[in-house]
Amino acid sequence: MTVFETAERRRVGDARPVITELIDGTTVQSIAEEAWISLVGEEEVLVPLPAELPADVLSSWVDVVGPWTGSVVLTAGRQTAEELTRALLRESAPEVLEEEDVVDAFGEIANVVGGSVKAALPGQSALSLPSVGTSPEVRNTADVCRIDLTWRGEPVSISVQGALPALPVPHDPHP
Amino acid sequence: MKILIADDSRVMRQIVIRTLRQAGYDDHEIVEAEDGRDAYDKVQSEKPDLVLSDWNMPNMTGMECLEALRSSGSTVPFGFVTSEGSEEMRGKAADAGAMFLIAKPFTSETFQDHLDGVIV
Repeated sequence: MTVFETAERRRVGDARPVITELIDGTTVQSIAEEAWISLVGEEEVLVPLPAELPADVLSSWVDVVGPWTGSVVLTAGRQTAEELTRALLRESAPEVLEEEDVVDAFGEIANVVGGSVKAALPGQSALSLPSVGTSPEVRNTADVCRIDLTWRGEPVSISVQGALPALPVPHDPHP
Repeated sequence: MKILIADDSRVMRQIVIRTLRQAGYDDHEIVEAEDGRDAYDKVQSEKPDLVLSDWNMPNMTGMECLEALRSSGSTVPFGFVTSEGSEEMRGKAADAGAMFLIAKPFTSETFQDHLDGVIV
């Protein structure tokens, strides 16, 4: 390796990493599967089969702040979010779910998935409390690791997405 | 035994209670707290034999609760049940005097691994 290559590598290494350099879809999927078994039920499977999300969706997410900063976002149809809530509550699920129950349960799934994603990332990061609502926007399409799955035949997506816009491409003084 | 479960998620408190039962610890009194401040207060008023606490909670985190308890002279056995499962967090928990850290997602076997000998 030449001196130039070493310097170049260091310069590239100093740049802000994008998520695809840090974690891959297979790891995110295995994290999600473990969360599902623990929270939703041992018999509950997430199938790696992409399906189109309905128009009425709900997202829950946690923010990770550290060497990589972004959000771990779980998105599903509102009805699926309610079914997930019932699965988590099991016998204590009320006949009519309150919005508060869905926010709590759907947020907790994002919290558990996000905590495991955080633990898989290098360096020290902080994790936020979960939020539920409309997903944070994707700021940099290169800084996204998204998996699309189905649960009980309904689409569920998990997006690990950066919070920051893409860095400007450095100007080359010697084109 | 009296076990205090602190988590700002009501659903998660129920899952922890259910998992305790599945792990065979089903004959114990359970007290719930909805954040670290509530847990701190209930340690004083309810005098539990064990605290199982989340880490990230509003008002007072689980770590702040543990530190406040130890500062006040409380020696109540305290373990985390948290989505913060990294080595860094395990180290911080142990340094602050936590007996164990159970990372979410967990199973009833994980509970048995950490709680056998703690819950009697």
